Amino acid sequence: MSRRARIRGALAFLCLLYGAALLAGLIAPYPYAEQHREFPFAPPTRLHFAHLQPFVYAWAPDQAGGYREDASRAYPAGHLSGVFFPLGTDAFGRDIFSRLLYGGRVSLFSGLLAAFLSLALGLLFGVVAGFFGGWPDRLLMRAGELVMALPWLYLLLAVRASLPLHIGTIQAFLLVVAIIGGMGWVRPARLIRGVALSGRERAFVQAARGFGAGPGYLIRRHVLPLTAGVLVTQATILIPQYILAEVTLSFLGLGVGEPVPSWGNMLAEARQYHALVSHPWLLAPGLALIPVLLAFLVLADALLESPEP
Amino acid sequence: MRSLRTTGTIAATALVLATLLPGAPSDLMVAPGITGRPGGTLVFSQRNEPKTLNPVLAGDNASREVIHRITADLIHINRATQQTEPALAKSWRASADGLHYVVDLRRGVSFSDGHPFDADDVVFSFQAYLDEKTHSPQRDLLVLAGKPMCVRKLGQYKVAFDLPSRYAVAERLFDGFAILPRHILERPYREGKLAQAWGLRSPPAEVVGLGPFRFKQYVPGQRIVLERNPYYWKEDESGMRLPYLAEVDFVFAGTEDMQVMRFQSGESDILSRTSARNYVALEKDHERRGYALTDAGPGLEYSFLFFNLNDPPPGSLPEVAGRQSFLRRASLRRAVSLAIDRDAIVRLVYLGHAAPLPGPVPLGNKAWVNAKLPQPVRSVAHAREILAADGFTWSPRGALLDAGGKRVEFSIVTSSGNAERVQMATLIQDDLKSLGMDVHVVPLEFRSLLDRVLQTHDYDACLLTLAAGDADPNADMNVWLSSGGNHLWHPAQKAPATPWEAEIDRLMRRQMVTPKYAERKRLFDRVQDILMENLPLVPLVSPDILVGARNGLGNFRPALLDHYTLWNIEELYWRSAAGTRR
Amino acid sequence: MKFLARRLLHGLALLTAVSFFSFLLAQMAPGDFYSELRNDPRVSPETIAGLRAQAGMERPLLARYGAWVRSSLRGDLGYSLAYQSPVAPLVWERMRSTLLLTGTATFLAWLIAVPLGIWSAAHRGTWRDGFSRMVLAILLTAPDLLLALAMLILAAQTGWFPVGGEASRGTPPLYDLAWHMALPVAVLVLGLAPALARHVRASLLEVMDSPFALSARAQGIPRRRLLYRHLLPAALNPLISLFGFSVGTLLSASLLVEVVMGWPGLGPLFLEAIMARDFAVVLAVVMLSAVFLLVGNLLADLLLYRFDPRIRTVDQ
Repeated sequence: MSRRARIRGALAFLCLLYGAALLAGLIAPYPYAEQHREFPFAPPTRLHFAHLQPFVYAWAPDQAGGYREDASRAYPAGHLSGVFFPLGTDAFGRDIFSRLLYGGRVSLFSGLLAAFLSLALGLLFGVVAGFFGGWPDRLLMRAGELVMALPWLYLLLAVRASLPLHIGTIQAFLLVVAIIGGMGWVRPARLIRGVALSGRERAFVQAARGFGAGPGYLIRRHVLPLTAGVLVTQATILIPQYILAEVTLSFLGLGVGEPVPSWGNMLAEARQYHALVSHPWLLAPGLALIPVLLAFLVLADALLESPEP
Repeated sequence: MRSLRTTGTIAATALVLATLLPGAPSDLMVAPGITGRPGGTLVFSQRNEPKTLNPVLAGDNASREVIHRITADLIHINRATQQTEPALAKSWRASADGLHYVVDLRRGVSFSDGHPFDADDVVFSFQAYLDEKTHSPQRDLLVLAGKPMCVRKLGQYKVAFDLPSRYAVAERLFDGFAILPRHILERPYREGKLAQAWGLRSPPAEVVGLGPFRFKQYVPGQRIVLERNPYYWKEDESGMRLPYLAEVDFVFAGTEDMQVMRFQSGESDILSRTSARNYVALEKDHERRGYALTDAGPGLEYSFLFFNLNDPPPGSLPEVAGRQSFLRRASLRRAVSLAIDRDAIVRLVYLGHAAPLPGPVPLGNKAWVNAKLPQPVRSVAHAREILAADGFTWSPRGALLDAGGKRVEFSIVTSSGNAERVQMATLIQDDLKSLGMDVHVVPLEFRSLLDRVLQTHDYDACLLTLAAGDADPNADMNVWLSSGGNHLWHPAQKAPATPWEAEIDRLMRRQMVTPKYAERKRLFDRVQDILMENLPLVPLVSPDILVGARNGLGNFRPALLDHYTLWNIEELYWRSAAGTRR
Repeated sequence: MKFLARRLLHGLALLTAVSFFSFLLAQMAPGDFYSELRNDPRVSPETIAGLRAQAGMERPLLARYGAWVRSSLRGDLGYSLAYQSPVAPLVWERMRSTLLLTGTATFLAWLIAVPLGIWSAAHRGTWRDGFSRMVLAILLTAPDLLLALAMLILAAQTGWFPVGGEASRGTPPLYDLAWHMALPVAVLVLGLAPALARHVRASLLEVMDSPFALSARAQGIPRRRLLYRHLLPAALNPLISLFGFSVGTLLSASLLVEVVMGWPGLGPLFLEAIMARDFAVVLAVVMLSAVFLLVGNLLADLLLYRFDPRIRTVDQ
């Protein structure tokens, strides 16, 4: 596939996913918090066809503690009535497919926003360090090393514990974004610094300086455009990393709280032994992650390749 | 020739006489109704690693699990009957006023290195526990009414304990106080280094105790190996010395999932206290894998939701104080209790392996549960009536407002490390929506949670699980007394804040010194009634004790008190040679 | 050599900063080691106060920091409240376990990744390359945690591998160790190798498309010699940085895997110490990790200095 086709394909796929997550309210069959307490850990509902019309059977509990299809209760596939679970249910009978969509909002967008924050900080620090050099450069680079060496678990525990208990969902979401994004500026900053450094040394920049151009103008006109390429490729690398970081934070209880789903806290539920052995459909968010991350990977690869002549 | 023979005869006679002299025959304890065959290894996997083998300072469960297998106490609480029985103490007598206990020790007992045991060891041990400079967490058990107990030696095998005030069940206090070897630990104690003694890296020859096993080896990060103590002072009815097992291996699994996996794959022999979900997942495979799972019934653990009833100083914690305006209303707490679907909790969180709690005493504590308390019934309609009668109203969109028009919105903090508690909180959150309450579930890391509840009081409601230390209510005095540090909803009060708390104080103090069980039960029943009338805590459920053991393990009798599976480790044995390990 | 001296000095400064900030952060986390004892109704507040005073928790922050610095310089890394024993031997033996795991995994990962990356770059554009890249991409994106759990389930259900631990009894030592290490190493390698292979491929490709490579090809230099004599050395720069990074993260890369798979290394010790607020252990592990990071960076810088002439002209 040509480079351009790959870029377009990956972007389209990602837009589709992000769009689906945004429109979760319209697409999802159930609200994310709706519990169906009669159907905990129900497996995905099987779709049957009669005369090309899809329908489903309700689940009924069986002896072994699982479920079997109850042939006496059939419903057309569009009729909800608490029986149609495309990806099964969790411990409280909440529809996993709906939660996957709503959860995508948190996970996909926290990755996006956190990457934006990291890149913004990285751009700021990198340009300052690279363009001005001298002590701002040394200071920022040393600070970067410090940031990478500190034990962040303590900071996270401390921050979470000292917050008021009542942080709403939005604030919790933004907090997660801020923490992840705020810690990850070092790598982009280093790369941007390199770009700014080499930009500064270029002949025409030096010439412009000779003409009396101030640093602000030089940065805006000459250095910033050079950083565009780095920023874009870094974005495609950082976003998936941050999506995974949100998963990790949710394991530690530092993500959004119940009942709001995120792929992270859904996976946290699934990672226990009994879930993996008896209810593997709980791993749906993990499986959903893979195509998302793959798409970013393809995009990053394609962007990094030099364009065809 | 002849002189030699005479010497020999004299020597032989002396020897025979010596064994017949008083004090020399050993009072071995006979374990009734037990048989078994000697040999074999038991592998037990622990979730966390033990940190020390020092009985005086051990604070975590994993360390205690190992320590109690290599040490013994004077008077032991039999985990099956939940009553006291003689251990290293052969018999004891209480004085008429209940202030003095005279204890007769077993004779002819030796430590695991062969050194004889006598009253000096007992006096030394209690001296170490009571010494303030040692800071033993167990010291407070021996402090009654602010004054410590005294120990006196009355004879080589006789010790007296002087209590500063009457205490109804003083004999239960002795369970768990491991008797230390004076010949090993007195020196470190005098040098002030008792805390450093018996760390995991100590040479096995130094770790000497009176338990059924003795310390053999520690492999860091992996296992502790115990071997049979040949000097153990119990035997079975046929005269065979206990324990039957030759070796016990404590391996460190790290997480509950790993424990379960190791048990399932046959790498460990006993699964002690697992969660209901893992239990059910394991049940599917048990025939093929050769193990049996047991549900021993509700234990001494109980979950409850309690509310912040502290009096914050004016100006501090304004938000908490604001929410207390409705949290303090007993009607709200009663409505919460009525709206909670405990059956759903039992069914969804514990998969049926739990029981709803009618009162603040766990169901496994049959001797002290107030049987007259009504079973909890769920009625959202009734809850709404109670709220309406107390001035609560509902907004057009269904949100609950208190008498002042304030929205009823609060958060429940719970421990993030425990999946079951978070699940319970999630179910409760959904239940309370039907009343129009807006509840947030906030899982916090355990120490942060304790800090908030016990120190800063910056929370609204909390969902916790408590495990009663002993069946007897005296173990939880600090929870029920308003001045207690563990009076969760309002700890360390200088004077009781409410009349009902004052009444509870009075009743608890009386039952502490009342000698007869029937009278004490009556008093404690009244305490439970008062608690259920005022509901500072809303009892939820009491989970069952779920254990498993490999087929072929004999005398496996799970108990409802800690230690659920190893309390009778000296009686455990492997039925067939196939069950024994290399 | 002035370069070396300056880097060492700067490294020491960094270590000091790390230690101070870690101290500060540890103080900010609420609760302390004895919080759990407070929850036990049978223990009195006086006992807890006594224990806290004994551990020196009541002293002001700077005093405690100063004491810690002084004792560390003497080699005494403090006292673990949980284990009631000195920290240094505790951390030392766990470190050995971790290094065994990560060392082996890193070595194997590089062993696999470099040839794979070279092959992939050499065969760029063929369907074999595309296929291998797909497989690598999937492995790359599968979360470490799920991989570890999947391996564990495999071990538990089939019984081919032990579930956790470093050694069992009754089996010959070397074979036993390898048997226990197999799964954790596999998970680590699966996590490390794909990314490395991609980096090798990317840096080779960059060089392959550069003017000097194209001109060398035009001059007719055979492909293999071109690859190994000319391109690979030029592509070394980013690889050396990566190597430094590998060395630097030898202690921290396996934390999650160790915890989930039950390998008795620094990971579980560190996590438990954080949850229990066992100060001294946490600080010791953090400092050790920082030292490794510094050594890794220094090693990378030294190697770059030696092997990449372009660096020598730019001496900041």
